[in-house]
Amino acid sequence: MKEIRFHGRGGQGAVTASRLLATAAFLEGKHSQSIPMYGTERRGAPVTAFVRIGEKEKMVRSLIHEPDYVVVLDPLLRKTVNVTEGLKEDGIIVLNSSVTPGEVVLAKQFKVATVDATGIALETLGRPITNTAILGAFAKGTGEVSLDSVLEAVKMQWSGRLGEMNVKAVQVAYDRTVIGDPKVVSDTGKKEAPSNSRADWRTFKPVVDEAKCTGCRVCWVFCPENTILMVDGKSTINYDYCKGCGICVEECPVGAITMEKESE
Amino acid sequence: MAHKELMVGNKAVAYGAKLSKVEVVSAYPVTPQTTIVQYLAEFVAQGELDARFIEVESEMSAQVSVQGASFTGARTFTATSGPGLLYMHHPMMGCQLPIVMAVVHRGNKSMQPDHTDLMAQRDTGWIHLYCEDNQEVLDTCMIAYKIAENAKVHLPVVLGLDGYILSYTAEPVEIPDQEEVDDYLPPYKPKYGLGNPLPYEEWVKRPGGFYGSQNAWLSHHTKMMDTRKVIEEAHSEFNKKFGRNYGGLYDEYRCEDADAVLVAMGTIASTARPVIDQMRSHGKKVGLVKLKTFRPFPDDEFRELATRHKAIGVIDRNVSIGGGGVVYAELRSALYDLEDRPRVLGFHTGLAGKEVTPGHVNHMAEKTLNAAAGGAESAVEWV
Repeated sequence: MKEIRFHGRGGQGAVTASRLLATAAFLEGKHSQSIPMYGTERRGAPVTAFVRIGEKEKMVRSLIHEPDYVVVLDPLLRKTVNVTEGLKEDGIIVLNSSVTPGEVVLAKQFKVATVDATGIALETLGRPITNTAILGAFAKGTGEVSLDSVLEAVKMQWSGRLGEMNVKAVQVAYDRTVIGDPKVVSDTGKKEAPSNSRADWRTFKPVVDEAKCTGCRVCWVFCPENTILMVDGKSTINYDYCKGCGICVEECPVGAITMEKESE
Repeated sequence: MAHKELMVGNKAVAYGAKLSKVEVVSAYPVTPQTTIVQYLAEFVAQGELDARFIEVESEMSAQVSVQGASFTGARTFTATSGPGLLYMHHPMMGCQLPIVMAVVHRGNKSMQPDHTDLMAQRDTGWIHLYCEDNQEVLDTCMIAYKIAENAKVHLPVVLGLDGYILSYTAEPVEIPDQEEVDDYLPPYKPKYGLGNPLPYEEWVKRPGGFYGSQNAWLSHHTKMMDTRKVIEEAHSEFNKKFGRNYGGLYDEYRCEDADAVLVAMGTIASTARPVIDQMRSHGKKVGLVKLKTFRPFPDDEFRELATRHKAIGVIDRNVSIGGGGVVYAELRSALYDLEDRPRVLGFHTGLAGKEVTPGHVNHMAEKTLNAAAGGAESAVEWV
């Protein structure tokens, strides 16, 4: 039996990806389970989903703690979520990233397959929904299911133009997936976020231009996470807690705060 | 032709009801049951299911609506979860109509699954069937009507499926051919119904009629205990027709020559089987009993089973606060009059959605084995 864990953000389609993969395996005559993890499902918040592929008799009903494969739908997630947790020694990580496997920094040696799924999704769907593209990379990187089965599952899910666009996304991703070894370092510099932090929801971060900030405290009033402190009369953001909602940018009367894309 | 497709447990419920050709559906949405209502409403709206969908403002009304419809002779269906089920309690009590209801387990005080919701309805006089996978969910809908509408039974049946673990997990499910289902489950033809109402003289003669006397309770209870044979027949007939066996009252797995057996309900049974296989491959004599039918409680059957094993470990995904594990207590009580009793251990696990892993099952099985070998194990443990 093979066990797969998906990491994504609400809105990227991790649950649908797990469903499509289970369907693809089913089309190959295997039994499968697609298990969504229900919790704080909000657009942008980290979500997980799971797939088991194998014989019906072996299908236990717990979640997956020691996956054979990990699929990461968002390039930034691995900064805050320990995506390799419990991954088997010979496990494979399928990563949405614009960098090559050799540039991916991990604390342990695992096989890595990378593809710029966000870029491909924008190119083929016009939206950064990476679930179908990443499945193309999964088929190429792991060989666990064939490209044809994934395409068939996608066609079953969507018909017409939407189906065609997603088929394209899978195919392009399959072709562009690169497999290799990561850069293994003892300390990846990842720091554990405080337990009540929602900083891992952030894909854009607010940045204060001190020259423009008048210290009026409007952002301080509106921040829903209480992450803004006034230091020397200027607003200062605590990124350990900022969830990147952008309310401060909306509310700032002088336009001193702007959103910047988080980098990999 | 029968065909397979990947579906979540809630869809399997909706398909089960559709294949059973239910005529009246009334349900009120509650997490994690909500999508059952959506799927059924969709079937009705698209004309795939010729049924009347009664929209209501609460679970109490849903239950009363299907009871009213059942009185007229219609085949009726409803579904709910956790707190919604609690709200149905009063009309459920003592109901003697062949209604089928799906309960997507949700703990009474949480969003997450456990069996405290349905266990709280154990005294209401319904037949309780527990399911472990989506295929069993779909099949049990049809089996439930077969049992409920049997002239000897004429009692409501509730089938349980673990919320989230089944309700939202997708897996391949075979959808049987409608003709074959029709053959197994012919249309419901009650003696009395619309156009042929139950005469008052008949009504008062009915066992349990008004529950105005102790005898009414006795007759409902006696009738309930007598349904065990019908439950087994309905299951074996289903197995003969469709080739899928759910055991009727309970299903034994690798219990032959087992020193210790675990008793599990719902999805924990699926998790337990590979663990039993693993332990067997190491020469450990352990088996699994999946309790499918909790009401009527198969006490005679358990007495027979008990003579073959040295220890029984009962897994309760519930607690009767101040009492203990419900199945544990009933099973132990059933065995009290045996001269040579096995050890019976109780385990509480999986409450409020606590994950039950193969490791947990392994622990419970090892402990029961140890007790079978004469080890002084504690009687009850929260795992």
